Amino acid sequence: MSVEVEVDENDLAEMVEQVWESYLDPEGVSPLMQTYDENQPSEVHSSVSITGSWNGHVVYASSRAAAQRAAAAFLAMELDEVSEEDISDTLGELANIVGGNVKAMLPPGAQLSLPQVVLAPEASARFPNTERISGVYGLWEGEPVSISMWQSSTDTKEEGA
Amino acid sequence: MKILIADDSRVMRQIVVRTLRQAGFGDHTLIEAADGQEAYDMATKDQPDLVISDWNMPQMTGIEVLRQLRAAGNNVKFGFVTSECTPEMKSAAEAAGSAFFIVKPFTAERFDEVFAPILG
Repeated sequence: MSVEVEVDENDLAEMVEQVWESYLDPEGVSPLMQTYDENQPSEVHSSVSITGSWNGHVVYASSRAAAQRAAAAFLAMELDEVSEEDISDTLGELANIVGGNVKAMLPPGAQLSLPQVVLAPEASARFPNTERISGVYGLWEGEPVSISMWQSSTDTKEEGA
Repeated sequence: MKILIADDSRVMRQIVVRTLRQAGFGDHTLIEAADGQEAYDMATKDQPDLVISDWNMPQMTGIEVLRQLRAAGNNVKFGFVTSECTPEMKSAAEAAGSAFFIVKPFTAERFDEVFAPILG
């Protein structure tokens, strides 16, 4: 029987806060303001898969402008200096950081994949047989950003059995 | 001192470099490796005084790099900067001879705390 995993919105929000404090908003002037809107739009996204003691995906999604701003902050560059590759690398690293922190909260025996980056909306991605179990949705300087967890239904079935 | 930064993410290598500077360690010589094999090769050839390594990398993972260096008699000071942090990873790192374990996201204060005793 698989263990029920409780990585809730508060846990995700705490990780988000650490990422903002460390890299995206070290001065503490532009935090992610939560909107709690699961359906806010995105233009780009990245994800990592977790397998083993828990099976699912951690997805980071945002507008292109927010991704560009994140890359500028990560690389200490001006917004107009940011390249497509900078945006991809930054999105991949954001999924990796949040995914790694999620993994640390899971029972032993979980594996983290390398990140995948798609410069297309999160809505274009399909994670078959999964359901969204938690997420943080917000605006960063007016631009949508979200971090969500999708659990494979094989796990949920076992939990219900 | 010469410091080798090993991470397959280019942005993360840059962040490590910048954070080292912010923590006051910018006057050391910094060299970079983009995967585990390169990290092993550079740790052997370039003889750094310190290796700051990611865990999850292509070719060889960070822990494999550390184990192979130790098996080859290389005792360079070596530690991890990783987004993955579980008790079993920490104990595997310690058992292999790791000097520190820094979890992403990290701050300049955390770097100072870890590296001040090592780099002076």
